[in-house]
Amino acid sequence: MKVHVKNWHAIAQWRWDTGAADADDDGEGDVCGICRVPYEGCCPSCKMPGDDCPLIWGECSHVFHMHCLLQWIGTSSSKQQCPMDRRPWVTAERKVDRTNNAR
Amino acid sequence: MSVSTRRLSKELTDIKNHGTPVGINLLSSDNFEEWFLSLEVLGETVYAGEVFCLRFRFDSQYPISSPAVQFVTDDKWKAPVHPHVYTNGHICASILGNEWSPVLSVIAVCVTLQSMLASCKKKELPPGNDRYVRHAPDNPKKTRFEYDDDTV
Amino acid sequence: MATEALQRQIQGKWQNSFARLNRDQQGITGLLGFSESWTLATDFLHPRDLNDPKANREWDMTQVRNAVETLSRSKMLPLLLENFLEEMRKQQYLITNDVNELMRQYENTEDIHHIARLIYRLLEWYRAWVPISELGHTILSAYTLTFQTHIYSTLPPSFSRGFKQLINATFDLAGTRTAPPWIPPTPAPLQSSLPIPRPDLPLWSSFEQLGMLDRYESLISSVCYEHIEAHILETCTRKWGERMLQPLREWMTNKIVPWMVMPYARGARTAEEARSMLQGVGSRFDFHVCKTLSDLRTREIFDIIIDFPDSQPALEDLKECLQRVDQRSQLVQTLRKANRKRLLHPGADTKDIIAQYVSIIRCLRLVDPPGVLLFKVADPIRRYLRERPDTIRCIVASLVGDGESGDSLVDENEPIQPLQQMQVEDYTDPSWEPEPIDAGPDFRTNKPSDVISTLVSIYDSKDLFVRELQVLLAQRLLAITDGNFDRERRNIEILKIRFGEAALQVCEVMLRDMTDSKRIDQHVQSQKNMILRPTIISRHFWPPLQAGKFTMPGQFKQIQDDYASEFHLFKPDKMLRWLPLLGTIHLEIELEDRTVPADVPPLEAAFIELFSQRDTWTVDELVASVGSVDRPAAIKALTTWVDLGVLKDEGGNRYRLLEVAEDGFSSSSGAPRPARIVEEVPAVLTVEQQQADQMKVYWKACFIEGMLTNLGMLPLDRIQTMLKFAPGYDRTVEQLGAFMEAARREGLVTASNGLWKLSKR
Repeated sequence: MKVHVKNWHAIAQWRWDTGAADADDDGEGDVCGICRVPYEGCCPSCKMPGDDCPLIWGECSHVFHMHCLLQWIGTSSSKQQCPMDRRPWVTAERKVDRTNNAR
Repeated sequence: MSVSTRRLSKELTDIKNHGTPVGINLLSSDNFEEWFLSLEVLGETVYAGEVFCLRFRFDSQYPISSPAVQFVTDDKWKAPVHPHVYTNGHICASILGNEWSPVLSVIAVCVTLQSMLASCKKKELPPGNDRYVRHAPDNPKKTRFEYDDDTV
Repeated sequence: MATEALQRQIQGKWQNSFARLNRDQQGITGLLGFSESWTLATDFLHPRDLNDPKANREWDMTQVRNAVETLSRSKMLPLLLENFLEEMRKQQYLITNDVNELMRQYENTEDIHHIARLIYRLLEWYRAWVPISELGHTILSAYTLTFQTHIYSTLPPSFSRGFKQLINATFDLAGTRTAPPWIPPTPAPLQSSLPIPRPDLPLWSSFEQLGMLDRYESLISSVCYEHIEAHILETCTRKWGERMLQPLREWMTNKIVPWMVMPYARGARTAEEARSMLQGVGSRFDFHVCKTLSDLRTREIFDIIIDFPDSQPALEDLKECLQRVDQRSQLVQTLRKANRKRLLHPGADTKDIIAQYVSIIRCLRLVDPPGVLLFKVADPIRRYLRERPDTIRCIVASLVGDGESGDSLVDENEPIQPLQQMQVEDYTDPSWEPEPIDAGPDFRTNKPSDVISTLVSIYDSKDLFVRELQVLLAQRLLAITDGNFDRERRNIEILKIRFGEAALQVCEVMLRDMTDSKRIDQHVQSQKNMILRPTIISRHFWPPLQAGKFTMPGQFKQIQDDYASEFHLFKPDKMLRWLPLLGTIHLEIELEDRTVPADVPPLEAAFIELFSQRDTWTVDELVASVGSVDRPAAIKALTTWVDLGVLKDEGGNRYRLLEVAEDGFSSSSGAPRPARIVEEVPAVLTVEQQQADQMKVYWKACFIEGMLTNLGMLPLDRIQTMLKFAPGYDRTVEQLGAFMEAARREGLVTASNGLWKLSKR
């Protein structure tokens, strides 16, 4: 017996590839520390999630909604520090380079 | 809906779902501009048996901008006698000023202040209390404190 | 011993009497003359027997007049009258005999001819016995009174019936000249040389002379009322497509008014006079027309509403009638009662209730623009709808113009507008009380709002609608395979106007996900041709979906991984997570002797893929190979293949692949089975669905089935009471009702008169 797949309509969710373990699958997922909205949601100033409201990675490995972080960095009181560890914020180039991307 | 409203409603939901840490209670959160919480230091401390009330004021930029936090002093509530707390309720704590971070929350602030009180060994007024109180602005955020103690 | 004085007194009196009778004539000549006159007069006045021809003799009227004159001068007329009335009483039996005979004939035949004959006969008796006018008015009225007293005491109760029938028969005579057979020939005393306008005129004259018009006044008008009612029932019942009130009024003018001339305006000399005589009674009859029509339409109101808008003319009639007669509270009562009986019961579909409610809104607004009636009628419906679990779903389905529900509730002519704030009744308020039934029209300022706003206002918050809308939209979008969701986009645009943009933000994201999926897929396909076409959705923006955790085996896993890595190349900071239970796969199963095509959900595909590794599997082995899957879901998936003749249930949870078809499924013997499209599991979970699943337990566990088997028929509340003994049962009677209704649709049970019973299999 052979099964020939002719056509497949599937449903999938997209996730940000934060490199975090994917154990929290059923929960809300990780949230942005600033706005407390899940990464896959959008920051308070956005209406569309995803490419319109991307994440930003710091070299310190902390991740935020880009808009949230930029707003913080834009204030003088931030002293250009990461809100999590108060180390100077340096945006990471691209995050984890994993060979096994697809899961 | 402003940034602060979204964030505060999330914090509120969190409090409703998970409760508050021991010794901290939400007294009022009728709007997203001003909240009141009670604060109690448990265990054997100089504040045993005393309950304080904290007033939080938020502007629309919270949590990017820090909340204005002070102890309530009126007929019912008194500010704790502490080297970093003025008798008008103003608090000299770095996390409320230049050490503020948007990842902090109302509860995080309360917990920090709770431990600040818990670590106090001797009830003392801050130096220059009277002078400060006489000239203090209504909003403690307008004060530029010198944080001489790194522990808070 | 009489004294002298007494004797003198007697003497005097006698002298007086004598003088009166003798009239100062010589000797006793006067007295003799008086005696003669008395005899003649009493003889003349003697009530004779009409049946005795001898009694009908010729009189010299001069003599009679002279005799009366004599008696009058002797002041003996009162005595003559007394004597006459006494004679009458002795002769009354003659009339009684005639009455009895004619009434007997009527009662035997129910033929009004006999009643008409009786009327004429009575008139003949009356005319035969009437004293001549010279005797004066007093005697005439005393005679008439005595005569009428007698006949009315003689007429049996059945006369009223006959009389009514007779009156009723006269309605058609206006404008006719030839008498119908039931009118007997006019008796001589009533014959006239003038041509009579209609054949029943003599009859009416007879009624009047016999005092029947006064005596039976209410009976006559009741005949007319009944006639009007009968006509309205005959011409207007269930005739809602045209205005009837105006034709009825024309009918009144053409048919009833001419008839009314007889009983009410016979004496009129001019048309003007007749009109003024008829005015009062005419207005009463017009009122009755409105009352009857309004009563009829009130009785029919529920069906009129069902028939709306075809029945609009009937509603316009009703509106006009209600302005004339105050039957508004009856209308409210009747409609509320009908709604309770025919609409607000567990057997009715929610969407039908909503559709009828919408029609009620439209209809009652037509009848009563201020909305007082609507408010009173709508109140119980709204409360009932709130109790139903699927009300919001139905309203939302109609909002987006769900094709299945047939007529959309939304009137296309109604402009789309933002939801209006309604004064929402708070039924949870303990001090809430229904408005008094006789509340004036100003008891509540009810701004007419559009139908959708009214429906949405059943609930306190529109959030529920938005949530349900999201679920419905999700179901639709996930079912789309051709990438065309223009209709959904258009619906959302319309709904944005109603609910506001912010409320539908989530739906916007869902639509954007659809667009993005298409764009991403185009890119992926351009890089590498794939048979997989996913819809990629944003977490947090879609309603909860059927999330199962199982891994597609073999080539399916490979296909998924290939796609996911292409995706990751295109969107390096994102990755895909498959929702394994959702979607559809089109497969061809190539077997030794046949090829079976099928459209199946992923779990079915996963299982059959496993069978390509090995011919026989147990359910547990299969479940273990894919991860965690519900056993019932696994059985269902396997059954799909058994039905397609690809697998065989070997018993003991064991399934075997049929490389060669068994009898009945072979491609060579008999017709090949057509590819079955397996019903896809609904992707989106609804609360209702979860509850229904749980209800099935109560059915399957034989609670309901067993109950109905043992007890035959049961009303819903009885089932509910008995189920309460079942462990863990916590449904409301409404939920039970919805479940039973679903069971009825599946053909498990039938319902009639509120009783549920098992269908005969």
